[in-house]
Amino acid sequence: MHRNFWVILATLLLFAPSLGSANPSGVGEGAFDAQCGGACHGDADMNRSSPSIVTLQSEEVAYEGLLTSVTVSIENIQTTQQGLLGVFLLSSLSGAGDLPSDDGWTIISNSEGGTENYVEITVLPSQNQRNVTWTLRAPDIGQYELHGAIHHGTQDGSEAPFFGQSSTPIVVDVVVVPEDLPRLTSDYAPTTQRLLGETTTMQLDTTFVESVEVEWRVAGGEVQTTEVIALSDGRWSFDLPASLQPSVVEWRAHLEGEGPSQTTPWFQLRSEAAPWTVDETAAYVQSFALIVVFMAGFMTLQKRQPNEIQKTAFSDEAFEGGDI
Amino acid sequence: MVTSNTLHVVSTELTVGSFAMAGAAFLFAGLASHHRFGMQRHLNLFDHVAHFALAFGLLAMPMAIATGIASSPGDGIDHPLLINKMFLSCASLGLALGVLNVRWRQGSKVWAEEWGRRWQMLGGMAASGLILTTASLGGTFSRGESLLDILHLPYDFVPLMPLWLSGLVLLVGLANMVTGRQAAS
Repeated sequence: MHRNFWVILATLLLFAPSLGSANPSGVGEGAFDAQCGGACHGDADMNRSSPSIVTLQSEEVAYEGLLTSVTVSIENIQTTQQGLLGVFLLSSLSGAGDLPSDDGWTIISNSEGGTENYVEITVLPSQNQRNVTWTLRAPDIGQYELHGAIHHGTQDGSEAPFFGQSSTPIVVDVVVVPEDLPRLTSDYAPTTQRLLGETTTMQLDTTFVESVEVEWRVAGGEVQTTEVIALSDGRWSFDLPASLQPSVVEWRAHLEGEGPSQTTPWFQLRSEAAPWTVDETAAYVQSFALIVVFMAGFMTLQKRQPNEIQKTAFSDEAFEGGDI
Repeated sequence: MVTSNTLHVVSTELTVGSFAMAGAAFLFAGLASHHRFGMQRHLNLFDHVAHFALAFGLLAMPMAIATGIASSPGDGIDHPLLINKMFLSCASLGLALGVLNVRWRQGSKVWAEEWGRRWQMLGGMAASGLILTTASLGGTFSRGESLLDILHLPYDFVPLMPLWLSGLVLLVGLANMVTGRQAAS
């Protein structure tokens, strides 16, 4: 009994470090401080500096309460065999209180279809550069810094967890909104995800706007315009064509009015195949049923005694003695 | 650091290798018990190898499952292949447990009767075949191809029963095992 206990304990201990110390499959998107607040990628004894170059792009000026976009660009990408790369948008790099929301920013969307400051993207082997864009609602008037950061592993999984960050932050000056500035309403939130094969009708809610022109493009592609229909005072609609394969369509609106003309940031609309779902409870119960039925079925089968059993000349003694 | 991906490869090879050996040994044991190719004198050897390899494969299976879950992307069961892998491995697990249970209860006499030797051989080989198919599905899931692609198996079709039907089947199976034990005692 004692021996069994120690063997089982030793086996569990052998597995524990390898299973518990890393997340090579990532942790999924979420709200995380820099270096996840001090996880493996933030442990000075374990981590290493990433060779990747992280930079940020954004407008230098944003209007209080209105939308703006920030793009984190990663070059010279190194990542795991699965191509997993974690990308952060942060308000500081201290490891605590680093979320953009800690400075008053509100994340409306990111180009991966979520609303968190940390996303995990899959980088294809041929890709050496990737961008992740966040659409943010600006905080109160003031100057704010934003940082980009990344987490990743290596191809063979044998080295330390890597951490990289933008060498310099971007500084965004949030200023007061001019009285007659043509703009989207303060509570406007665009649709960010849709299913493949669906044409999307988007609605725009605006203030101080007399005309709207909308441009769209498949990420990185040629810019096209689409017809905008005025539904009522300050409300507009336009159609974005369906996607036949998973992709990101970006769109932006040029807003004209009495005040200075405005152009919104590029908004991302991600098209994905309908997720495959299954009733997991039914699947687990069926799995357990399969174990029991196959076991019981086979044992019942072997218990059956046909009327005419053909006995061979095997005896237990001959069998055990290896004579047959 | 050894990642769960690497451990999964190791544990899978351990499991699949054991089951493959068990499958071959069950085939040879079946041939030997049927006095084919002059193999009857090796029946004792094949019998022990087949059942030991099958039991060892079962012991290695939990590690393969645990590392497989740790290394698979995403959360939960989010792909038809994963469901089919789970079903196949559970069917194999049940069949293998049945084969080992019969061998444990009946001893070497399981090879003495025409009925018993035939089904012991087929049961052991079927359990091995199901695990090899499961491993092949794993190859399709991780690399997009496997040796069984030539069979054009319907990987995306999930034969999922309603919960009530699975529960009913489970109850029937359990009742069968209980009544079987009572009849035996």
